[in-house]
Amino acid sequence: MIMEEKFDIAVIGAGPAGSMAAWSAAAAGRNVCLLERNNKPGFPVRCGEGIGIRSLTEHSDARPEWIKREITCSAMISPNGTKVNITDIDKSTVLDRERMDGDLAQDAVKAGAQLFVTSPVIEVTRIDGGEYQCRCPQRTIISKIVIIADGVESRVARDLGWSTRLASDDIESCAFTRVTSPLIDADCCIFYVGSSVAPGGYAWIFPRGIGEANVGLGILGTRCTAGKPKELLLQFINRELPGGCIGTLHCGGVPVTRYIRPLVRHGAMLVGDAARQVNCISGAGIHYSLFAGKTAGKVAADAIGAEGVNYSSLTNYEKLWKKRYGKQQERSFALKDFVTHHTDDAFLNRIAATLTKKKSRKIKYLTVFLSTFSRHPMLLFKAFKLFG
Amino acid sequence: MPLKIDKKVCDRCGTCISVCPCNALLLTDELSVIRDQCTQCGTCVAICPVGALEIEKL
Ligand SMILES: Cc1cc2nc3c(=O)[nH]c(=O)nc-3n(C[C@H](O)[C@H](O)[C@H](O)COP(=O)(O)OP(=O)(O)OC[C@H]3O[C@@H](n4cnc5c(N)ncnc54)[C@H](O)[C@@H]3O)c2cc1C
Ligand code: SF4
Ligand code: SF4
Repeated sequence: MIMEEKFDIAVIGAGPAGSMAAWSAAAAGRNVCLLERNNKPGFPVRCGEGIGIRSLTEHSDARPEWIKREITCSAMISPNGTKVNITDIDKSTVLDRERMDGDLAQDAVKAGAQLFVTSPVIEVTRIDGGEYQCRCPQRTIISKIVIIADGVESRVARDLGWSTRLASDDIESCAFTRVTSPLIDADCCIFYVGSSVAPGGYAWIFPRGIGEANVGLGILGTRCTAGKPKELLLQFINRELPGGCIGTLHCGGVPVTRYIRPLVRHGAMLVGDAARQVNCISGAGIHYSLFAGKTAGKVAADAIGAEGVNYSSLTNYEKLWKKRYGKQQERSFALKDFVTHHTDDAFLNRIAATLTKKKSRKIKYLTVFLSTFSRHPMLLFKAFKLFG
Repeated sequence: MPLKIDKKVCDRCGTCISVCPCNALLLTDELSVIRDQCTQCGTCVAICPVGALEIEKL
């Protein structure tokens, strides 16, 4: 028999965005459920696990156990192999996301949210009276507000009129794994760019400890063919970490497009990768997801009153997102567009050659390959003029 | 020629779902295709990072 259960707020997807939303709504006293397709939140991990310490601690109660490795340097390798050390970035860490995602979901439960695992939402509909019905194979959930956090596929939102389909030039198709090898630099996150390494994207080596790293790469959708990310990744590992022991290979997609507008329709809210809240240059989305989830959960909780839901106040979530990260995300999209259309291997090599001669303090524009660059879009144009 | 999913290769990552123009893919405990919605356009085939999809030639 299919059970029907009622909640104030239903959250779909227990990634960082969904778990934060469920936690903040439950902590504000609402009756919340969190629906997760997998049988365990945070598993399997689909992430390079890199994040700046500042963003992590600003948006979550980070535990020491979440941090696998503190990173002291970053470097970019250009297509011809020139290495540029980048020292002007914020301090970074490599996370244990299995642990973090698990803890975030448990925090939501401790705050009073009910977690249903192995509960894929197949369809969401708005029913009479404006409530939402989430249909899963074993249960049906009725709620006043629904927060959609189903990650890159963002399928659920389509039931409610959003168009979330990604064009092929708005997604990076990624393959990644864990590698153990004595050749891994345990203190440095390394990015490799170039059309033979990762066309329209980059390859990464993010250390998790001595001799162990997350290794992966992403290819822009328009330059991807069936199975190419996996193929290029295995070649990359053989070249950079020969003899390394390769773990289970996983894959995933990173949306690299503008965040979706509107973020709120009636009583439905979009958060995290489902809302395309990702930095389009670096592919980083953990910090945006934590912020968006926490904010949306609180706004949703506050919108429920004795007379029902104050729908117009739900748009406060969109305003807060726009204020904190909206512009930054927009700029990262503009930059990605520029980089994919106007740069090639020769350009990247020229930049790298010049940068290695400069003091690292002065080479901020190199961070185009890191999220930090998105704050200074004009620098790329200057760089282009300088070397073009 | 129907879309074929190699369930042993598929990693259940959802990347194909995000690009499907027809909303014809669904992931529950495994990936499935909604036949009467799929136009066999091949977009999902090209994006799959591990090559788990194929338009079967008869
Ligand atoms: C290969 C790769 C490397 C990355 N590396 C980094 C990095 O180094 N640093 C960084 O900051 N970001 C990185 N990202 C991005 C980051 O992982 C995401 O931005 C982040 O996980 C988004 O969180 P989320 O909660 O929105 O979605 P997710 O973490 O994807 O969570 C979505 C959840 O929803 C569940 N779900 C989906 N559909 C349904 C449904 N119908 N019903 C119920 N549950 C459902 C899924 O099972 C999943 O648990 C990377 C991404 C990829 C793919
Ligand atoms: S993109 Fe490939 S691996 Fe990912 S769910 Fe689709 S078929 Fe499976
Ligand atoms: S072939 Fe085209 S329509 Fe069919 S599932 Fe793939 S992307 Fe969707």
